[in-house]
Formats: sequence, structure tokens, C-alpha cells
Amino acid sequence: MAQDASGAVGARSSPKIDEAGLIRAVQRGDQDAFEQLVRAYDHSVLRLAMNLLRSEEDARDVFQEAFLRVYRSIDSFRFDCSFHTWLYRIVTNICLDHLRKRKVRKEEPAVVETPEGPLDRMNDFEEAAAHADPERNLWNVQLGQRIAGALGSLTPRERMVFELRHYQGLRLRNIGEILGTSEEAAKNCLFRATQKMRVELGDFQ
Amino acid sequence: MNCESVVKLIPLYYYGELAPDEEDRVEQHIDGCAACAREAERHRAVTAALEQHQMRPSAALLAECRHDLMRAVYRDEAPAVQAATGWGHIRQGFADLFPALFRLRMPIGAMALVALGFVSARFSMPGADLPPNTEANVISSVRSVQAAPEGAPAGDVRIVLDETHRRTVEGSMNDGNIQRLLLAAAHDENNPGVRVESVDILKNHSDSSEIRGLLLNRVVNDPNAGVRLKALDGLRQFTGDPEVRKVLAEVLLHDDNAGVRIQAVDELTSHTDDNMVGVLQNVVQKEDNGYVRRRCEKALKDLNASVGTF
Repeated sequence: MAQDASGAVGARSSPKIDEAGLIRAVQRGDQDAFEQLVRAYDHSVLRLAMNLLRSEEDARDVFQEAFLRVYRSIDSFRFDCSFHTWLYRIVTNICLDHLRKRKVRKEEPAVVETPEGPLDRMNDFEEAAAHADPERNLWNVQLGQRIAGALGSLTPRERMVFELRHYQGLRLRNIGEILGTSEEAAKNCLFRATQKMRVELGDFQ
Repeated sequence: MNCESVVKLIPLYYYGELAPDEEDRVEQHIDGCAACAREAERHRAVTAALEQHQMRPSAALLAECRHDLMRAVYRDEAPAVQAATGWGHIRQGFADLFPALFRLRMPIGAMALVALGFVSARFSMPGADLPPNTEANVISSVRSVQAAPEGAPAGDVRIVLDETHRRTVEGSMNDGNIQRLLLAAAHDENNPGVRVESVDILKNHSDSSEIRGLLLNRVVNDPNAGVRLKALDGLRQFTGDPEVRKVLAEVLLHDDNAGVRIQAVDELTSHTDDNMVGVLQNVVQKEDNGYVRRRCEKALKDLNASVGTF
């Protein structure tokens, strides 16, 4: 019954690439290699930023800032940890800065005006079939609002650990490594986050 | 193991973060304790709800992010790639080469890069009659180096360079050569960023039948959703044209990207057309995306047509 989360992150599920070779090529200034390296990870980085910041615009900023930092500082990468961990350290630091700056920002769904009233296009991408039933649709909207509220109740660090474990499927040991803390501390953080989520969402049937 | 400790372990159990013996003990406890079983079920339900509301970036957004990033990277590198000729160019090349080599503490390879030039569009120049304000850059790489070559004065080295030429072409969109270059770049299968950028420029000149033909082609054939969206933008003012409507209908029925179908349905239904009833009914039957389906249903109602087929 327990879930295993291996293989959930970008490059891990991509066809094998010679990552070390690519990194060395980027260090020599090869932009083609950089583009290949970006493609191995960019989807998971953008997804992480979107889920954490709940804003497409902020996620775009994080994406650009993170990969530019990688490009500018890749000479300092010494292969003493995996590239994935190094990249995620950069991304999570930028995201944590965003989260701390605004503390808690309400979710901004991509709402568009239609002849039938306001419509969240973001929801349409994800929950295609549910919209056939108006009651189900309403339930979904309410649940979405509750989830946004529940995520908003977490501290930036809890939010980060929860996101990395729940949606990105990283192991707690790896999360600790990325965030510069221990596996045990990441575990406690995840526990606090899930407790808060349960309290916020537990009665929603 | 008591209920309090099991409740604490349930999230870790679901995430597969418990040791095998701990996992067994949690399972045994849940099997025999109704309260903890309810707690486990509640956690499972919350997890399922969270899964449903996960945000996933669209292909178009990802393409735009990649494109913006690579543009920023090229801008970063731009000062390093300067117009240079002859020895001045080689000197510039070495100025770029040596700091990098010292920094990396690596031996000089047979193919060390000299200048970090990057040609985005890999296509042949159509014809030799380029616009007058054309300048040439040379991008070099070292093929080989040889100490004390035979016949040379003592202390000399011989360096063999491979050189490729880069040209920068500027001109107005009224210039046929500029248009042809952009039309070629819009087909560059190696670089979706260049295709997005080219189609983005060309779409503002869709009164030309050649460009309109390209946009129709890209909407159907480009593998990148960002390019298809830009091409659809360019066709917006021609939604009354039967040929364009036919292509929009094809996109609506067959494109695998919801964002592209949303734009196609917006454009197609902006124009009243009885001939589209069959297509709209088909879409209502098979479409997963709620927005697209509702737009089709509304268009059918406006046309006094039935939503279903009989």
C-alpha cells in the first residue's frame, strides 16, 4: 500500500544522457550543451515553481533566474553532489525568497472572462472530465479554494518540503540535502505540513 | 505501537519513507484499529484531492520559458562575440580561450573552442544578394597546435584554425531576402526558439499569401505548441476565409494540446458558419477540455443546431 516515489523528477525519467559530459561542455562555454541540460530538467523546475508560487508569472521569473544562475556559475560546480541536487538548491532558494517576500499570497488562477461568466482555464487543463457535471464542477472549485487556503497555512519551509516530497517525489534524504538540513528535520517538517493539511482539508468530503 | 504514534507515521507510510519493519507494524495496527483506519483513509482522500489540483505547466508555457531563457543566454554572451578580421580576430579568440583554460586547469584539447559564438538558425542563405548592411563575423575553433614545427624559427608554435562565418542581416520586412530568411527559419527543425520568434514576426504580415500559407502549415505541422499558438494568432484576422476555417477545424479536432484547441475554438466560433455544425458536434462528443466543449455547445445553440448527433 505504501507508495514509492522513485523516478518522479525530470531527468531521471528521461532517456539516458551523458550529464557529466554535458556539464563539462557547458563549463567550456558550449551553449548547445547548456540547452540540452536545461531540457533535461526544465519541466520539473517549472512545475515546482508553479506549484509553490501558484502564479505562472512568478514561475516564469524563477525559471529564468534559476537557469541563468546555473549558466553563470556552472564553473563552480565541482561534481561533489549530483547536478540535480545543485540545481534544486538554486531553485528552492529562489522560490523560498519569493515565498518569504510575499509571505502568503493568495492563489491567482488564470481566470478568463467568457460569455458564460468567469472561467479558470488552468483548471480546465487538469480536470477535463469533471466539468460535465455542474455539481461536480462546484465541488471542484470549492476544493481548489480549500487547497489553496491549506497550502497558504504552511510556512515557506513546510511548503517547500511538502512540495518536494508530495509533487516532485523526492526522498526525504535528498530534500534534506537540497535544503541544507538533515533527513530527520525534513521528516518533521513534512509531518507538520501534512498535519496542517489534514486539519484544513480533513472534513472536506 | 499506539494510536498516537501510528497517526504520526501515516503520512510517512503513504510516502514510502518508513523502514520495512516500521511499515509492517503500521499496517498491522491499521488492520486492527478502526480509528486509525479512518485516519489512514482521510489521509488518502486528502492526498487524492491534492493530486487532482496539481498545477502542470502547459507545453506552450514551457516553450516560451525555454525561448526566453536562451535569448537571455545569447544576450549574456553577445559581448564576447565581436566582429573581427584577420589577426585581430585570432587575438580576440585567444583572449577568450586562455582565461577559460586556466580556470578549468585542463590540457588543451585538439578541438578547444576559441570563440563562443552560437548560430541560432541553421539554414542556407538563399542567394548571394544580401541586403547592404551585412557584416561578417568569424567563429573559430582550434583544430591542432604544434610546438616547434619543422622549418619554423625556434620557439614558434603552429596553430591550425577551423573558421566558420557568421553573418548578421538587418532589413525591413518589405525586403524579400529578409522575408525568405524568416520563412526558412520558421521551418528550422532543430530550434523551436527560432521558429517561435520567426513566426511571431511573420504573423504580423499575414496579408502576404506566402506568409499566410506558412502560418497554415505551421499550425498543422509544427511539433511545438508555442509555434502553433503564434501561427494561430496570425490567422485571427482571416477566420472568415474558408481555407483558414478548414484548418482551424482540423486543429480543433486533432491537436493534442488543450491550449492550442482553446485558441482554435475561440477563433472558429468568432464567426457564424452553418458549415461548422458537424465539426462542432463532433468536438462536443469527444472533447475532454471543459472550456472547448462549452464554447462549441454555445456556438451550436447560437446556430439553432442540436448539441448531440442522432
